Order: sequence, then C-alpha cells, then structure tokens
Amino acid sequence: MLEIEKLNYAYPDGHQAIRDINLKIKEGESIALVGANGAGKSSLFKLIIGIAEINEGSIKVEELPVGKKTLKDIRRKVGMVFQNPDDQLFMTKVYDDIAFGPRNELLTEEEVEERVVNALEQLGITHLRDRMPHRLSGGEKRVIAIASVLAMNPRVILFDEPTSFLDPQARRNVINTLDSLKMTKIIATHDLDMALDICDRVIILHHGSVFADGTVKDILLDENLLSQCHLELPLCMQKPRVR
Amino acid sequence: MSTITDSMNTINSLEEMAEGNTIIHHLHPMVKLITTMLYLVLVISFNPYNITGLMVFAFYPVILMALAEIPYKPLLQRLLVALPFSFFAGLSNIIFNQQLALMIGPLPVSYGVISFTSIMVKTIFTVMAVLILIATTSLPKISYQLLAIKVPKIIVEQIMLTYRYISVLLEQVSNMYTAYILRAPASKGIKMKDMGIFVGQLLLKSFDRAESIYVAMKCRGYDGNYLYAKPSPIKKGDWLFLVLVSGILCLMRFFDLSLFIGSFL
Repeated sequence: MLEIEKLNYAYPDGHQAIRDINLKIKEGESIALVGANGAGKSSLFKLIIGIAEINEGSIKVEELPVGKKTLKDIRRKVGMVFQNPDDQLFMTKVYDDIAFGPRNELLTEEEVEERVVNALEQLGITHLRDRMPHRLSGGEKRVIAIASVLAMNPRVILFDEPTSFLDPQARRNVINTLDSLKMTKIIATHDLDMALDICDRVIILHHGSVFADGTVKDILLDENLLSQCHLELPLCMQKPRVR
Repeated sequence: MSTITDSMNTINSLEEMAEGNTIIHHLHPMVKLITTMLYLVLVISFNPYNITGLMVFAFYPVILMALAEIPYKPLLQRLLVALPFSFFAGLSNIIFNQQLALMIGPLPVSYGVISFTSIMVKTIFTVMAVLILIATTSLPKISYQLLAIKVPKIIVEQIMLTYRYISVLLEQVSNMYTAYILRAPASKGIKMKDMGIFVGQLLLKSFDRAESIYVAMKCRGYDGNYLYAKPSPIKKGDWLFLVLVSGILCLMRFFDLSLFIGSFL
C-alpha cells in the first residue's frame, strides 16, 4: 500500500530531518509513529502528502510515486488530519467544510451531499451539520476535521497528534472514532496509551531515522528501548506514583 | 480584554443571525445582493442637499429588519464603528461651506450642515443595508453570488477567509494580551515600547497560520479554484420580491414621495 525507500530529506537551512528511511505499510494497518519532538514525524508526513519535496529516495502509494505530477492523485489516496483543527476548518459551516474536498474533486452537488452525509453518519455527528466550526469544542472540531478528510474517501489517513489538547472525555471520543476507521492509518503521536489501544504496529523515529519497528507489545512495553528515544512506557503500564 | 471578547461575540452573533428562518432569510441570495446593491447606488446618488427625499429610504432597513426578525441592538453597535469615519469626512463641509441655506426659526442652517447631515444619513442607511444582507445570508452564499456577478475571485476569497479567521486572530490577540498582562501586572495595557514586538509577533503568527491553512486546503484538493455550492434556482417569489422592491426603491429615488405626502397635509 505505502512503500518508502531510502528516503532522505533536509530542510533548506541544511537540517537533515529524515535519514535513510525504508518502510513498507500494508493495507488496513493501524500504525503509531512515535518519537521525541523533532524526531521527524511531521517531516515524514509532509513528504508522504507531497507538501515537502523529496531530496532522495522514493515514496509510493499503491505503486504511484509521490511527485509533482502525481500530487493530485496522491492527495486523493492520502488524507491528512492536522494537529490544529483551526488550520483545517476554515468555512463558516460544518457542512461546507466537509464538502470542500469532494467539491474539489468536481463531484455533482448530489454526490457531494452523499459524501458529507456518509462522513457525518460514520462518525455519529450529524447533529453538527449546520453548526459553525469555530463555535464547537476542541473535541468536536477534531472529529469534524476527521470527517472533512473522510469525505474524500482516502485509502490512507495520516493523523498528526490527534489527541493533543483534549480533555479525557473528548480524547476518548477521538480514540473511539479513530478505532472505528477501517482504512490504513498512520498516527503521529506522543500519546502512547492511545497507540496501545488502537494500533497494531509502532514505528519509533529518532533523529530522522527508524529506530525501531514492531508490534505494539514489542515496542511499547520495552522500557529500555523507549528511554533511548526519550520516551516513556505508556502511563497505564507505569507504576502509580502517589505522593 | 473585554473589548476583544465583545468583538468576538459580535462577529459570531451576526453569523448566527444568518441561519434564521424568516421570509427574508429564505429569499434567493442573488435577489438580496441585487436589491442591496441597488439600494446602495440609489442612496449614494442622492443630491447632498436633498435630505427630505433621502429620509424615505429609512423604510427599507426598518422593514427588512422587522421581516427578518433581526434585533436592532447588535446592528446599531456595528453601525457605530463606521460612523466616526463619515463624521470626520463630513466635518469639513460644515467648516468650508457656511453659505446660508435656510432658517429654522431663529437658527441659521448652512449648506455645509445639510450636506454633513446627508453624509451621516447615507452612511447609516448604506451600512445598515449591508449589515442586514450579512445577517440574512451566510457568507459562502454571498461569495458565490459575488463571483456570479464577476467580482474578482481573489477579492471574494480574501473576504471569505478574513471573515472566517477574524475570530481566530482575535483569539490569538486575546491570548497574547493575557500572557503579556500576567507578566506585567502593573501595566494598564501594552506599553508603546512593546507594541512593535507585539504586533510583529502577531503578524508572524498570522503568516504561519495562513501557511498552515493553505497547506491543509491543498491536501484536500484545492488548486487555486475555490468551488462553492450552487444555490437553488431563483423562484417566482424571489422574482416578485426583486421587481417589487426595485420598483419601490426607484420610485422613492426618482419621485419625491416626501413632497407628495406633504401635499396632502
């Protein structure tokens, strides 16, 4: 489904963000991409979605190489949910925001409506259809942002810190929403408890390289491995510390 | 601080009004846009010394506000923002045109005072008409109609995005202001020496935000052509409203109704 080969990327200032990454991701996999700040998670996402230009190596989505000529098709196959939903939701109505992607695919208004209704129903948020995005709570905005990507029927969705800045209830709602999605998911996160809950594979990035790649149990329960990458065991696996 | 919060609430309340369910809200957006533009042109085209003829045009905003069930207070609050501009623009008329026009009892009234009043009245009427349009029609619908009448795409998109993000920007200002005040408790506001840095930071954050929004749009297939939902076709009732209102407005403009009504007194 997604194939990354000998990928290297440096920012214009020379900072090497990605170093020789090789990855193969199968259809339907739910992957947690973890690593300390600056490990290269966001840079990798930018390269997959074609926002940043690959310096060296290649990324293929269903055999289609990511490049200038294929960007339109790549963005039909790969959706991305941004960390800050205010970056993503810019229309004055939830409906129009979710319809933005399908309209750009030049679908008829009936088809657009069908896509929007499906996305809203799938996430159980039909009641938010006519609301104004900026009046919604952080958790609601996050789910609307997911719906706006879902409406494009992508084969892969990239999530950038989907549970950051949310209260426990909203966080749980978002986690349940992510769990209900059956397409390929790559979730960049520091929330290792969420990764434990809904992912079946974990990739640790460290200084722009893949430091570890394995099952959730192999990676997230290995305290020694995690500490080498400035990470900790998921909170639910740590001994409670009560003062 | 409360001013920023008030501004955010004011912007939001206008958007909420546009989701109303009255006869005016249900009119076709193009009909509302055309009648509003016609109203603006007719009001502005009035002779600056003909206030009595102009006053008849007060009926349009008053009747529309009643039919659309728009509360007058938030609209008047917004109107107050526009008034100082026309006040200072019209002030020079009073100073430079002191030729006597008429006497109201013992009080002399110059042509300058009349034209000043005319400017203020025109401002009130035109701003009210635009506010009523916004309060009864959502911005994407207005944007679509603006494109339909060939307003440049770049202008329409700028209006729409600015309108959407003004609340996000105000929130940013509010957060930065709070962070500043908490570290300068003795200060009554932002000191002039810090203002440059404050505004500069805000500008940089706005650039970052703009970049992020653009990237998010590109990820959802945006290629420079913004695609709006096509509204339903214009119905008979919409045509009737358009013809009726346009006719009445033109009648009010080219036929001196105030003189006509006065002749019966």
